[in-house]
Order: sequence, then structure tokens, then C-alpha cells
Amino acid sequence: MANTIITAGQADTTTLAHVNVPPAQTWNYLRINDISLTVPEPHFVGDVYARLPRLFDAVECGVGDEALTWITRAAGDATYLEVKAGEVREEPIYVDIDASCCDVADTGVLVRTGASATIVTCAHGAAADATSASLLRVIAERDAQVKIVEVVACDEGQQHLDAVGIEAAEGARIEMRQYALGGAKVACGLCCNLAGNSARFTLDSRYQAAGTDVLDINHVVRQRGRSTRCDIVTTGILADSARKTMRETIDLIHGAKFAEGSEIETVLVTGDEVVNKTLPVILCDEEDVAGNHGASIGAISPEQLSFLAARGLSEEAAEQLFSRALFDDALIHATCPAAREAVLVRASEVLGEETSRDMAEVLGIDAKEA
Amino acid sequence: MRDMQERGIMSDQLLTISGLSAGTEDKPILHDISLSVGAGETHVLMGPNGAGKSTLGHVIMGDPVFQVSSGSITFDGADVTELGPDKRSLAGIFLSYQAPVEVPGVPLYSFLRTICQMRPELKTTARKFRTRVGEIAEQLEIDQNFLTRELNVGFSGGEKKKIEMMQLLLLRPKLAILDETDSGLDVDALSIVSRGIEAYRQECDGALLMITHNTRILERLTVDRTHVMVRGNLVAEGPASLIDDIDAHGFARFEEALPQKAEA
Repeated sequence: MANTIITAGQADTTTLAHVNVPPAQTWNYLRINDISLTVPEPHFVGDVYARLPRLFDAVECGVGDEALTWITRAAGDATYLEVKAGEVREEPIYVDIDASCCDVADTGVLVRTGASATIVTCAHGAAADATSASLLRVIAERDAQVKIVEVVACDEGQQHLDAVGIEAAEGARIEMRQYALGGAKVACGLCCNLAGNSARFTLDSRYQAAGTDVLDINHVVRQRGRSTRCDIVTTGILADSARKTMRETIDLIHGAKFAEGSEIETVLVTGDEVVNKTLPVILCDEEDVAGNHGASIGAISPEQLSFLAARGLSEEAAEQLFSRALFDDALIHATCPAAREAVLVRASEVLGEETSRDMAEVLGIDAKEA
Repeated sequence: MRDMQERGIMSDQLLTISGLSAGTEDKPILHDISLSVGAGETHVLMGPNGAGKSTLGHVIMGDPVFQVSSGSITFDGADVTELGPDKRSLAGIFLSYQAPVEVPGVPLYSFLRTICQMRPELKTTARKFRTRVGEIAEQLEIDQNFLTRELNVGFSGGEKKKIEMMQLLLLRPKLAILDETDSGLDVDALSIVSRGIEAYRQECDGALLMITHNTRILERLTVDRTHVMVRGNLVAEGPASLIDDIDAHGFARFEEALPQKAEA
């Protein structure tokens, strides 16, 4: 069914000039409005019809149309899954993106009324100067409950593009955890549309970048329904000469009475050459709404440092604890064995093999199972 | 006070504080404090609100918020006055916080494993560590799900204190300073925390310096000495019976006596 194929190291490339564009832009000289990516040019090998139901076409993704078009062309085919009304799906839906094969995945999941499901996407592996990508679109119908765990655990040579679009109907609950654990150049774009009344979205986004890694994140939440609520917490560690850009937009649209949106970012910067840019925006076109933004950027807070010191941790040891904790947390929440394996492999590269093994054993993860 | 200083230089003392004055950058809080705690002893530090009890606990721990202007702190035979809190912790001093700090982003398991690995004497296999943590969790009636949650984030006051007790039992320090560990606890939580303290005394034979207003938490313990602080001064010291006396009569007489003492 595939109509296009990307192969590693192919010569033809194209440039995606504007990826992760936020709804409201700022001064161009700040160089924060988008990121450009050079990606392989997809090769046409045939036609595919009706890859996903047409309603997925309307789902906005945070990466923008240019990147979206490229991913769908490069993926060739798409995977469609439906969780029936009222079904409680125990087994997570797992989307595997093998970076060493330059995988590009296009996935659509429809979670019907009152159903619940967990979706885990994991990009992993290594291939020098290669590009992988994932597009996940989720439609959550009324009162559906969806947990999404997005893991990007590529190694230092990899470029990865990760796009997520979510449509939440009345009463739907979306709980998402995002882990950006590695990759030379990683762009993660996410958009959640809280279309129905009382729909709710919580996002716990965590990242670490070191060396000369480039990490670009775009979070957009459209709050259209009344009494909708979104809570975004972002925590990250930046070391060496890593460069991170994050745009976070909560869009309180006309009609979203009594909606509440909150975005909080905490960044631990341990490298002298780190470039850390953040663009937090709350757009408001409705009265009777509440929007909140908070940020803590730099070092570990004096209170936390004092507490950790009283338990025997120097400042350096405290920083190492935060690094380990990031991977531990990913292991705890990425419930699929393959995703856990990818996290452990990446942890081994960043923290060392001994620590990686220790993490698995402490958390009771069977190495064979993982 | 001179008696206490003399006891302070006895070689069998675990903690010896001699003539310690300390405070924040612009405010002296502790004045010429001298006290000593022997290995395995249980001491109680009492006093009205604002007496400086918690400050003393934090100064012993080496909290950088406070500066020592004179005097010394000797622990386990070594002068630790100039040491940072991390070094003091590794030497065997433990301070249980009155309001434990929340650390978002750090699962409890990661934290516990890391603080154990910092101590050569506590290094063990991951499997044994899991088993030990599980035992303590059961002992303190801590839900296993808490172990994968972020440290103290969203925990109730009682849960935070139980987690502090968990760290105490896991780290097995030589000296534990418990700063109003009983504050804000309901009857059930107080009972569990008290059991944790009792377990620490029995399993680790560690010394205790209890800062408290509540004598209920002391019911399961044998108190060796009681100290009373008023306005940053150590004004009295006595046996366990002093606690009952304070329970019955309060701190008024100590507060009244302080100016005379200062003049003397």
C-alpha cells in the first residue's frame, strides 16, 4: 500500500522551512518563531487511497502543514485503529519508530464514546545523519479517556520529527506524557483541541538535551469548549552546548467560558554554552476564563538544594539525580516493553550502563521482558 | 551551663555543641548554645514558639541559610562546624524537616536509591534495596504506588512525614534531629510515625534530638535528657521528668528567668 519510501542516506533532500510555528509569533530576530529541517525527499512509488478516515484531516497538529504534508507523503501508508464505544482497552496501542530504519509512521486512533485507551509511541535507534518521524492523530469522543506516552529516545546522530494532534469532545480526558531523551535534532509539535465542554488535557513534558543537541518543542492547546481545562507542566535539563526552543500556547477561544489553562516550565541548566529559549503565550478572546503561566529557569531552587544536601547530595550529585529521575520517570510511565527497552538503551548512553541496569532492577523491570 | 560545657568535652559524646552563636546575615538567633548528645541517647528540645529550636536543628545540619558567628559543633569526634550539609549528612546526621520540600520531576524511588548509593555502607544490590524499601513501606503503611510518584509532590502532611521516616529508617544515621515531626498529624499518622521513630531507636541504636511541643510522640520513647530554649538561649536542662513539669506549667518561668540569667 505504500506509495513512497525513504531510504537512509539517500541524496535527495528537501527543506521544511517553517516547522513548529506558534499561533502567535514574535520578533523574527529572536529566531524563535519556527525551525527549519532538511529532510529526505520522499520517492513516489504508487498511489494509496483512503489511508485514514477523512475526519482525521481536520485534526490540527503542532508541527504545521508543511511538516504534516511531508510526514504523510513519507509514511506512504497509515495505521488506523478504533477503540469501540465503552471499551476499556487494557493493552496499550504501541507505535514503534525505528530510527535506524528511517521509519516514518502515520497513525490515527479513534477512541469512541466512553472508551479508554493508552497509546505509546517510541522513536529509538541510531543511524548517522538519518531522519525518522511520527505522526499521531487522536480523536477522543465524548467522555473518552486517553493516555498518551510519547518517547523520543534517538541517539546523537539522529534527526527526528514528532507530531501529535488531538481532538477532544465533551467530557473527554486526555493525559499525555512526553519524553524527549535524545537526538541530534528533534522537533516535537503537539496540538490539542479541547472542542467539547468540560474536556480536559494534562501534559507532563520532560526533556534532556546535551552536547550539541537541538530540541524544538511546540505545544498548542485550543480551548473551545466551556469549562475546559488544560494543565501543562514542562521539566527539562540542558547541558553542554544544547539548544532548546519551546513555544507554549494556550488559546482561550471565544465561547470557552469558565475555561482554565495553566503552563509551568522548570529548566535546569548545567552547561555554560546552553541556549534556552521559551515563548509562553496565553491568547484570550473570552471573559470568565483563567490563564496562568509560571517559569523557573536556571539552577535547582535553594530550598530543594538545601533539602537534597541534608540527604547527602552535593549540587553535582543533585543534578545527576535529576538526570536519572528523568529516565526513571520515562521507564515508569512507558509501559510497553519495547519502549522501556529504548529508554534503557538511551539511559545507558547518557548515564552509563551500570546506572541503566540499576534503574531497571530498582523499578523491577525484567531486562528480558524490556 | 558550665556543667553542660564540661560534659561537652567528654569523649563518649556523639554530638557536642560548644558556645554556639548563629543567625541569619542580619539577625542573631542562637546565643552561646552548649549541649551534648551521647551515642544512642534520646534528647528532647522544647521551648515556646520562636525560641530558635528549629534554627538550632538546621544549624547542626549545616543549613547555609544560617551563619555561625562563634562556637563549634563536633560530631563523632570531628569538628564539623565548617562542613556543608551534604558532608554532615554523609557523616551520619539526619534532619527531618518540619515542612518537607517538594521535588517535582524526581520519583521517590530515584531519590531513595540515589541517597543510599551516596553512602558506601548502604550500597547494595537493586534487588535488596527494593526489598528493604518494600519492608519499610509496609512498616510505615505507605502505599507502594507512592514510590513511583514525585518526591513529596501532592502528598498530604502526614504522607510527607511518613516519607521522612522512611528516609530515616533507610539511611540509619547516627543522629536524627526530628523537627516537629508530629506537627499536623492526625492520631493514626502520629501513631505510625511514632512507630517509625521507635523502630529507628531499636534497629539502628541511633541518637535522637526531638524538637517537639507534643508529648504524645514521646510516649513510646525513653528520654534521657530534656533541654529548654527561650529566645535563642538554652535556659534549662534536666531529666525526662522536666517534660511533665513543662506540660503542667508551661514555659513562663523559663521566660521570666531569662533576663536575670542574662544579667548574671
